[in-house]
Amino acid sequence: MANLHREVTASHVCVLTFDRPDSVANIFDEATFAELNAHLDFLASPEAREIKGVIFCSAKPKIFLAGADLIGFTKDPSMEKLERLIETGQQTFRRITMLPVPSVAAIHGLALGGGCEITLACDYRVASTSRETKIGLPEVQIGILPGWGGSTILPRLIGLPRALEVILGNKQLAAVPALKAGLVDAVGPRESLRELAEKQVIRGKRGSLPPQLMNLPPAAAFIARQARANVLAKTGGHYPAPLKALEVVIAALRGTVEQGFALEKKAFAELATGDVARHLIGIFLLQERSKKTRLPADLIAPAEAPRKIERVAVVGAGVMGAGIAQWLAARGTSVLLKDIAAEPLAIGMQSIRKLFRDGVQRRRFTGTEARAALDRIVPVAGDVPLRRVDLVIEAAVERLDLKQQIFRGLEAATAADVALATNTSALSIDAIAGALPDPSRVVGIHFFNPVHRMQLVEIVRGDRTSALALETALRFVKGIGKLPVIVRDRPGFLVNRILTPYLSEAGRLFQEGYAVADIDNALERFGMPMGPLRLIDEVGLDVGRHVATDLAARLTTPQGRPVPAMDEMIARKWFGKKSGQGFYVHAGKGKPTLNADVERLPGVAARRPADAKLFLDRLILPMINEAARVLEENVVEAPEDVDFGMIMGSGWAPFRGGPLRYADSLGAAKIVADLESLAGRFGESFRPSARLQSMAAGGRRFYP
Amino acid sequence: MLREPLYIVAGVRTPYSKMGTLFAGMAADELGRLATVELLARTGFDPARIEEVIFGCVAQPAESANVARVIALRSGIPQHVPAVTVHRNCASGFEAVTQAAEKIIAGRGDVFLAGGAESMSQVPLLYRDSAAKKFGTLARAKGLGNRVSAMLNFRPADFSPIIGLQLGLTDPVCGLNMGETAENVARDFGITREEQDQFSLRSHQRAIAARERLREEIVPVLLPAGKPGAPAVMQDDNGPRENQTMAALAKLKPVFERDTGTVTAGNASQITDGAVALLVMNEKGLKESGLQPLGKLVAYAYAGCDPSRMGLGPVFAIQAAQKKFGLGIKDADLIEINEAFAAQVIGCQRAARSDDFCRQHLGRESALGDIPDEILNVNGGAVALGHPVGSTGARLVLTALKELHRRKAKRALVSLCVGGGQGGALWVETA
Repeated sequence: MANLHREVTASHVCVLTFDRPDSVANIFDEATFAELNAHLDFLASPEAREIKGVIFCSAKPKIFLAGADLIGFTKDPSMEKLERLIETGQQTFRRITMLPVPSVAAIHGLALGGGCEITLACDYRVASTSRETKIGLPEVQIGILPGWGGSTILPRLIGLPRALEVILGNKQLAAVPALKAGLVDAVGPRESLRELAEKQVIRGKRGSLPPQLMNLPPAAAFIARQARANVLAKTGGHYPAPLKALEVVIAALRGTVEQGFALEKKAFAELATGDVARHLIGIFLLQERSKKTRLPADLIAPAEAPRKIERVAVVGAGVMGAGIAQWLAARGTSVLLKDIAAEPLAIGMQSIRKLFRDGVQRRRFTGTEARAALDRIVPVAGDVPLRRVDLVIEAAVERLDLKQQIFRGLEAATAADVALATNTSALSIDAIAGALPDPSRVVGIHFFNPVHRMQLVEIVRGDRTSALALETALRFVKGIGKLPVIVRDRPGFLVNRILTPYLSEAGRLFQEGYAVADIDNALERFGMPMGPLRLIDEVGLDVGRHVATDLAARLTTPQGRPVPAMDEMIARKWFGKKSGQGFYVHAGKGKPTLNADVERLPGVAARRPADAKLFLDRLILPMINEAARVLEENVVEAPEDVDFGMIMGSGWAPFRGGPLRYADSLGAAKIVADLESLAGRFGESFRPSARLQSMAAGGRRFYP
Repeated sequence: MLREPLYIVAGVRTPYSKMGTLFAGMAADELGRLATVELLARTGFDPARIEEVIFGCVAQPAESANVARVIALRSGIPQHVPAVTVHRNCASGFEAVTQAAEKIIAGRGDVFLAGGAESMSQVPLLYRDSAAKKFGTLARAKGLGNRVSAMLNFRPADFSPIIGLQLGLTDPVCGLNMGETAENVARDFGITREEQDQFSLRSHQRAIAARERLREEIVPVLLPAGKPGAPAVMQDDNGPRENQTMAALAKLKPVFERDTGTVTAGNASQITDGAVALLVMNEKGLKESGLQPLGKLVAYAYAGCDPSRMGLGPVFAIQAAQKKFGLGIKDADLIEINEAFAAQVIGCQRAARSDDFCRQHLGRESALGDIPDEILNVNGGAVALGHPVGSTGARLVLTALKELHRRKAKRALVSLCVGGGQGGALWVETA
């Protein structure tokens, strides 16, 4: 099968077009490299005497080249294979640079990783001004580094400061910024790319690059120190790739290109065989897996295709409703944002406007795009006709009777094939569907807060949810660029279910006299994006208690002791971030500071010294225990779903691969033993689940 | 009666906001969009079925030429639906409605969205001609020396702008400001300052008393301003003054004739921002929509008059409509005459009941008839509510129809005077 097509124009320019069969993307796998090398052989042959230059382009509408074949890579991550992969790429790209004729990359669509590095091997680069065009080196995000020349050549081309933004900061450049940075030589509309590229061919072979002031030793050393400090502050030292990449980039500046390539190769092999890269690549693949989520096997696909979702009614303009409306509008969907009165709508619209303003400031949208998106949201107070709506998402207050009443109205007001979704984070879908004449229309579409940042969406399948409603939800969620996980209608669904014992236990530790900072620091060191008490502040103490109470009432497993100190905080309206104080004081834009008052609350025991090991045992192990129950109860189908959900939905230490990967690294036997001991000291809530016990007894793992 | 009535199916307007206050940052297209999306939401009507969008707007924003098209697209009306902006000065909102009626009679469609939108806050300031020429020279100047010498040509006076709004309110043919034409009417009919102030006080009192009723036609506007967590919502017109007194009105100086004049800021219409959107259809469109109409337009006429007494325009238009359709003042259960100036509305009342005036100017045997205060502008008028020029015509139609329903009455006469010497008169009925 041909991944690459060759054509020689009347003006003797050879055009090599990447067009992987049956795929929307072009990638570099062994076959593609073999073909590319065959074409390079041709260019070196006497037949090609007339050729004046070579242009690389892609036939795909959205992707130039998406980089290396990660799936093939993870199937056989042996050192030998890795070294071959790196060497093939480096040698092939060096051949392009060494061609006697000029080479030009005509970039339209994503040029990422290896897809960017092949363009760096060319003499010239031209890029289309299309929205699809982005050039970047995201390797560090998956725990490796640009190993096909990117770490060596990019700083020589655009200077160290900008190169580090791309390599360490995952900055992806559109055509015009790339032109300004010196990464590309010309930009224009997609249709004119070929013409632009041919103009570069005429310029002839490019000489050596002009020296970059910032790459000289004194500046470079200074920049490197700063970059290193930034990386450490951001990653807490858990991620080796950015540090390694920085080291290679700086070292490569001092030597020849060939020496740089050798450094890249060595560092790549080191990183790629490590656990962190394995886990991070695993997450990348889980995201791809989520995008391909299908209806559960026991459901028969609906006879008629679900509606195309053009207009959505969002009921409730609170934090979640407004967040959902903003996300949908930004993705081109029209939204009817409904609430009972003008005042809550005004507050919702205010937060939506702010999100768009911030988006414009961060250049996520142009001013015109932001206004067009804002115009797609029509706020309405009270009841209006919903006959033209394709989907409803209810995001009202978490009260069952209220939701039941809302759904009675929605069912009558909308067409019979319209799915009625609830964004509830705790209530039962089946209970909400209650006594509706057609309860099969009700499905859960649970977004996480803040909606514009959290990619995960739990799609909740109620016992009576129809295949049509579920399929509608699934297509809708994928269509708006979120990552779905299908979960059963069990208390707390997936993420909140597993997170609740963790957060509750953190509250108990606090009450026993352990310092807020000690607890949170220990978990941040473990790799959580923020400590549990800080997370409670973000969620809101009142919301957290509501979820915990609801779970306790509906689950039969033993619950931990109550935390009166936190009830006292709620009574004092210390809800966390939204009320200005909780475990922390949240003032203005800066980092929240510790709230000294909480330690003086009645019921909080005298200060005890930090005990990081105890914190991790009491906080992480119950999550694993709960995750095992989640699998036991078939809330989700596979351990992958649990790890994916927890990483994407709660930021669970990504480099550890998720709670179940982490559990496998500990071993079920140790987990069970530790939990038994904790149960003896701190109560029945720690008692290991049946699944964990049988796994320990049989020496089994979550993952095969 | 019209060969085919135009059904006014539904209507919504923004609150009217005094110039430079809450809507100061919103251009006409934004105001028009707010009214339009609410209208579409309340009716649930599929905008793909609209034949054309017609908006009246007098001071079209420089950045939205054909503001009707901008309103339509920003409101989510599909791009295949065309849009046109119409201009008949203060009757532009009428013009949108009557053009829809004409298109329907001409068989050019069944459903139209008609309305009016005006931001008087955003009428631009202009550079005078001499300055514009110098800017042109500067823009073309090449080289530092030429640019500097082009810059040195400017004089301080070049930077004192012409106020676009003032320009718009002056009749270029007779050279009079609108207020001066009102002074003419006051003089012709011997209307005193006190009479005008009394009229204005009543307009405020009626508007204040009508606050709840007017909310039926108003969509609350969620303002972008306000403190975080406590944004402002505007749901009422901010022109009407609760504590308006004769004494306060009496204190105001005449604006147009300092010494002997009677027209003040207190007895003239307020300069205001606002927009109205109406969904209008013929009978076929109405049946297909399944909606209940507010009412229908059954007759209308425009007529010209002396530009220096443009305030009397309604009388001429009422006569023209009577001649064409046979409906006279006596047939009206309710009358709206836009209060451009108190003097001018009182002038219309006097002219209509004067045999002399009607014989001399309207070619009638006798007077048009009495316009009783009891049924005239019962919810207040532009003196209190304000007059966003391009939108007022559409508002009068909406306000009158809503009031007919409340009174369970049948027919209303809606009229306004037009700068340049015209009047418009529309007859609407409940369906």
